[in-house]
Amino acid sequence: MRARRLEEAVFKGLMVISLGLVLAVLAAIVVVVVARGASALSLSMLIETPKGGYYLGKEGGIANAIVGSLYLAFGASALSLLLSLPTAFALQKEYTGRRVASITRLSLDALWGTPSIVYGAFGFIIMRYLGIGTSLLGGILALSLLMLPIMTRAMEEAIRMVPLELKEISYSMGATRIETTLAVVLRQALPGIITALVLAFGRGIGDAASILFTAGYTDHIPRSLLDPTASLPLAIFFQLGTPFPEVQRRAYASALILLVIVLLASLAARLLSRRFSKHIVR
Amino acid sequence: MRWRRIKDSLATRSMYLAVALANSIALVVGLGLFVKARPILATTSVSQLLFSSSWHPLKGEFGFYPFIIGTLAVTAIAMILAVPVCLLSAIYLSEYAHRRVRELLRPVIDLLAGIPSVIYGFWGVIVIVPLVRATGRAFGSPTTGYSLLAGGIILAIMVLPIIISVSTEVLQTVPIEAREASLALGATRWETVKHVVIRSALRGILASIVLGFARAFGETMAVLMVVGNVPKVPTSLFDPAYPLPALIANNYGEMMSIPLYDSALMLAALILLLVVAGFNLLAHFTLLRIERR
Amino acid sequence: MLTPGIDRRYFILGLVLALLMTIGAPACSSGGAPSQQTPGGETELQGRIKVSGAWALYPMMVRWAEEFQKIHPQVRLDISAGGAGKGMADALAGLVDIGMVSREVRPEEIEQGAYFVPVAKDAVFPTMNESNPAWEVLGEQGIQRQTFVDLWINGNTLTWGEIVGTDSNDVVNVYTRSDACGAAETWAKYLGGAQEDLAGIGVYGDPGLAEAVKTDSLGMGYNNLNYAYDATTGLLVVGLRVIPIDVNEDGEVGPDEDLSTKTRAIEAIVSGIYPSPPARDLYLVTQGGFQGLAQEFIRWILTEGQQYTEEVGYISLTDAQVREALGRIGN
Repeated sequence: MRARRLEEAVFKGLMVISLGLVLAVLAAIVVVVVARGASALSLSMLIETPKGGYYLGKEGGIANAIVGSLYLAFGASALSLLLSLPTAFALQKEYTGRRVASITRLSLDALWGTPSIVYGAFGFIIMRYLGIGTSLLGGILALSLLMLPIMTRAMEEAIRMVPLELKEISYSMGATRIETTLAVVLRQALPGIITALVLAFGRGIGDAASILFTAGYTDHIPRSLLDPTASLPLAIFFQLGTPFPEVQRRAYASALILLVIVLLASLAARLLSRRFSKHIVR
Repeated sequence: MRWRRIKDSLATRSMYLAVALANSIALVVGLGLFVKARPILATTSVSQLLFSSSWHPLKGEFGFYPFIIGTLAVTAIAMILAVPVCLLSAIYLSEYAHRRVRELLRPVIDLLAGIPSVIYGFWGVIVIVPLVRATGRAFGSPTTGYSLLAGGIILAIMVLPIIISVSTEVLQTVPIEAREASLALGATRWETVKHVVIRSALRGILASIVLGFARAFGETMAVLMVVGNVPKVPTSLFDPAYPLPALIANNYGEMMSIPLYDSALMLAALILLLVVAGFNLLAHFTLLRIERR
Repeated sequence: MLTPGIDRRYFILGLVLALLMTIGAPACSSGGAPSQQTPGGETELQGRIKVSGAWALYPMMVRWAEEFQKIHPQVRLDISAGGAGKGMADALAGLVDIGMVSREVRPEEIEQGAYFVPVAKDAVFPTMNESNPAWEVLGEQGIQRQTFVDLWINGNTLTWGEIVGTDSNDVVNVYTRSDACGAAETWAKYLGGAQEDLAGIGVYGDPGLAEAVKTDSLGMGYNNLNYAYDATTGLLVVGLRVIPIDVNEDGEVGPDEDLSTKTRAIEAIVSGIYPSPPARDLYLVTQGGFQGLAQEFIRWILTEGQQYTEEVGYISLTDAQVREALGRIGN
């Protein structure tokens, strides 16, 4: 008995150390970002677009990048969701056979592993083929390619965890597949689905490689889908890339802004998730 | 009743369409890459491409071996560092931590996932590279810090939030009855976790590891800032390395200007795709076997 | 009978709304372009010019865009960096109107229709860490080209002792650029090779390389004019020293080889003492030929635009170069 307790204590200790390590690393990163960026953070950074000499240290802000990133991330999330959710639902046994489901999962997993820069390159090829220049649309397309497998896979995991009995009860009461899916499965898996959405959103909004070649960059807020758009990761990248320390500090401030956006998104997801958890059967 | 049937079949049809589209994307991307990679496959033999260490694009020499090894090595290091830490953290969060603590820490960990890779890269240059440099010098290796180890550490950190959050989620969905039954039989909490919870959540946990692996494999920007980017096979943790995604990101701009370079980079992308697909097949079959048990 | 809850309807409604917003929003929002006063008031020019390419030209282009848009507020300039190679690739693919390139244009690119003019000059300088004791000697003697060739092209492992003639056993940590860029290409050209021939640890981006040398006391690298010298003070960036090149190989750094401040460096470039490469012309590239709005912009750059180069930290073209360039764009 004592050996068992000892084993538990040892592992519990390891667990706390692990978690502590994770949090320590997170703290270290946030501290560096805040330390370097807080001084440069100001209201004008949020609401103004860069005036001409911005990258040389003069006035302006990154409203173009903030709005651009939001457009890109929301657009791509919506586009991916349109395809991911039905696909994730369809992978249940009552819709597709084992073979089709396996193949689909495999091809999505293969996509998941593809570096985002490949989507950027692929997007470049497609855009050239279609004759559209670097634009919001190009960025959304490349980004949604990136988000799709993340969303689908995570959603599918959540859906899989729905206990079979719940579905069986629903069917035994005469519900059709889609009724069961929407009333039972969706409701039960909703917290997981929302997590999946936020996971993909967070991944997408911070990605630079896929949009570097497809979304372009501009100091203005895009007025149409065919306008090029700025984005926070690239704004950070460009600001870090100047030889001026004030501008580099602004890069860290931009990173802070991005962090805040992601935090807000995940908080919103937690809230929504908790709200919908009321309906879960445990 | 008929209307419900129609709804069902409409919904099902659109779902099939979605599945078809989802499947075709992988195919289209793969095919697109293959078509673009064809020119170089025509001029150089596959064995030379895969196993030669000579990389001189202007002379027409494209040996991918150092990059393949670099990719595998840096990913392996990342996984070795990340998986134990993540699993232990996830188990703690799910089984031992107070619900409030869990709720509080979840968005915090998601925050890690939201940090843009450029920032990880810069943080890595400021913090990790000097750390590795000091460690390496202590071990007698004259390293600059830009190394395989630095790349592995940064990747491990980037992969943490995914594995932890998905694993925690998965562990949470194990029905409470299973835990209660085990505890009622006199098992300690840890034994319950070991024998009951993990076993039933194993599939999901392994899936989260695969997710993490794929993310580590494909991460580009942060790694290339710390890894050294020298096209030679690394012989120690403190040697620089050059993973495939870094190769593509660094040289994408020159693609159009040097003959066959764009084809070579597309081939690099294709190799990445195939390796990940291969790994997933492997994971798939091992998972299948676990499921049957 | 299962009654689907109200939640589901809201969920779907929410999705639809989100979709509508994402499609509709860009079309509805107003542009964020700052409105400025127009001196003069000639505003017949309007349209959009897309520019992308070399980091080296980015600050200059941004300044030019600012001034040009003051005169022609109806013109919208979208500028992104991403490297010389990207600029070339984008220009040749027609994804942008003008590409910024910080290296020589290659024959394959000309074959694909690359049409270019020089618009400014800058240079690449070799750098070392300021707390490196070898500076005492190097500041006086400089380094000759052959040593650089040994380090970067031949990949020899030299010690600082071997370079300055002391008995230091510290190895020189050579750094280079990992991203395909004009700076590396130019430095390599000076040493008789191409970027892929350069040895050393590959670091991403100009500031990345500067950072690497700043933190490694035994490091040696190279940087653009704008990254080696502080833009406001004109002195060397803190932590770095530019290694003077002993061009005439007389074993000492003459007054015209001195690179201790930006002004001196620019003088050395203009006088031609500092070799070219690693001094270089910066080019703007297009596919086919410069037309319409882009042509107007470039013409302005070559004429009135030149007055801003020194302020931003570049070297303007000679009158002869300007005349030739204007001829090329079809004046």
